[in-house]
Amino acid sequence: MYADTQNDITRQVVRVAQLLLAYGADSELVEEISQRLGYALGLVSVEISISSNSLVLTSLVHGRCITTTRRTREHGINMTIVCELQRICLLTEKGIYGLNEVRKRVARIEPKTYPAKYVVPMIGLSCASFCHLFGGDIAACVITFMASAIGMFVRLSIAKRHFNLLLNFSVTAFVTTIIAQTGFQFDLTETPKLPMAASVLMLVPGFPMINAISDMVKGHLNVGISRWGHATLLTLASVIGITMAMQIGGLFL
Amino acid sequence: MMSLILAMLNDAVFSAIPAVGFAMVFNVPRRFLPFCALAGALGHGSRTLWLSAGLPIEWATFLAAALVGIVTIGFAKRHLAPPLMYAVAAIIPMIPGTYAFNTVIALVQLTAQSHVSPELTSEVISNGLKTVFILGALSVGLAMPGLLYFRSRPVI
Repeated sequence: MYADTQNDITRQVVRVAQLLLAYGADSELVEEISQRLGYALGLVSVEISISSNSLVLTSLVHGRCITTTRRTREHGINMTIVCELQRICLLTEKGIYGLNEVRKRVARIEPKTYPAKYVVPMIGLSCASFCHLFGGDIAACVITFMASAIGMFVRLSIAKRHFNLLLNFSVTAFVTTIIAQTGFQFDLTETPKLPMAASVLMLVPGFPMINAISDMVKGHLNVGISRWGHATLLTLASVIGITMAMQIGGLFL
Repeated sequence: MMSLILAMLNDAVFSAIPAVGFAMVFNVPRRFLPFCALAGALGHGSRTLWLSAGLPIEWATFLAAALVGIVTIGFAKRHLAPPLMYAVAAIIPMIPGTYAFNTVIALVQLTAQSHVSPELTSEVISNGLKTVFILGALSVGLAMPGLLYFRSRPVI
């Protein structure tokens, strides 16, 4: 194997690892996929070191090492891309894909998200079902639906303008809680507290939390702790929004 | 008996909806959405069953999460997709939302007061402990099949 081929393979492998980290795969999966892809493309060993915002990868063939570093940025969770990369890895392992096909398919990847007109009502319905599961009546469920659908719309609109995620969560929690309070203010429902608890559940950072624990359990302690810190910060940001809205509504103090 | 089945069906249906909703936020491909719904319904339904059998909520959540972990590994093997893709959306309905909300609100009220009141403190501690332990049960239960069975080989 010539040096430029090793360069090329290493670049593809590190690109795959970078995409996986950016779109929300856990460290174990990133390590597994990049190693298997590297072996399938003919590398003898692939070692990878992941930290909270960068990754270092070393590939070895014929006693020649290449070490390369990539900066990773969070791009929000996109399971479609993670799925696609896993499929590329499996197809390469079976010998169906060579280096050229891998390069072509990795270059073609771009994040596709569900359009807002489907996500907004679905999140409204989701939070309304939470409210129902917590034991709320019909009016409480309707309030929850309105609050969380409008909140989700605000969240998506802010995210489109690339604001800081923490700011986004604060503002969304504020708007959502302001609307969810109407049950308290106008005496519409028997269970006025439940819409407020249920509608902010769309801000629970579920993926970072689960990824954090599954990283820590499997020994990637520093990535796990940094993800846990991120999830905690997001929760704190939404708590600030909720508190401001409740103070304006005069529910306590 | 009949009322238990009805309660389980109710839970299953109303936790399948959030599973799909959150799967859409995580951009799970459309052909896998029904499987997220199925896993979510199974998880929450089985938790109701364990709760009615008299288990405390932490253990019931742990067992339900382990069931979700096993089921989603089955899906992952069939579709050649990462198991966490289904699992995270499926356990979202079991996240202890009201406990977490009560903890935080009591905490903020405690900050706003000039003296420490025992009622608010006890509410913070009891709700907070429930939140932490249910969350821990969820994520460790989910990791259980990987820790026990797929120790040294990849799932797919």
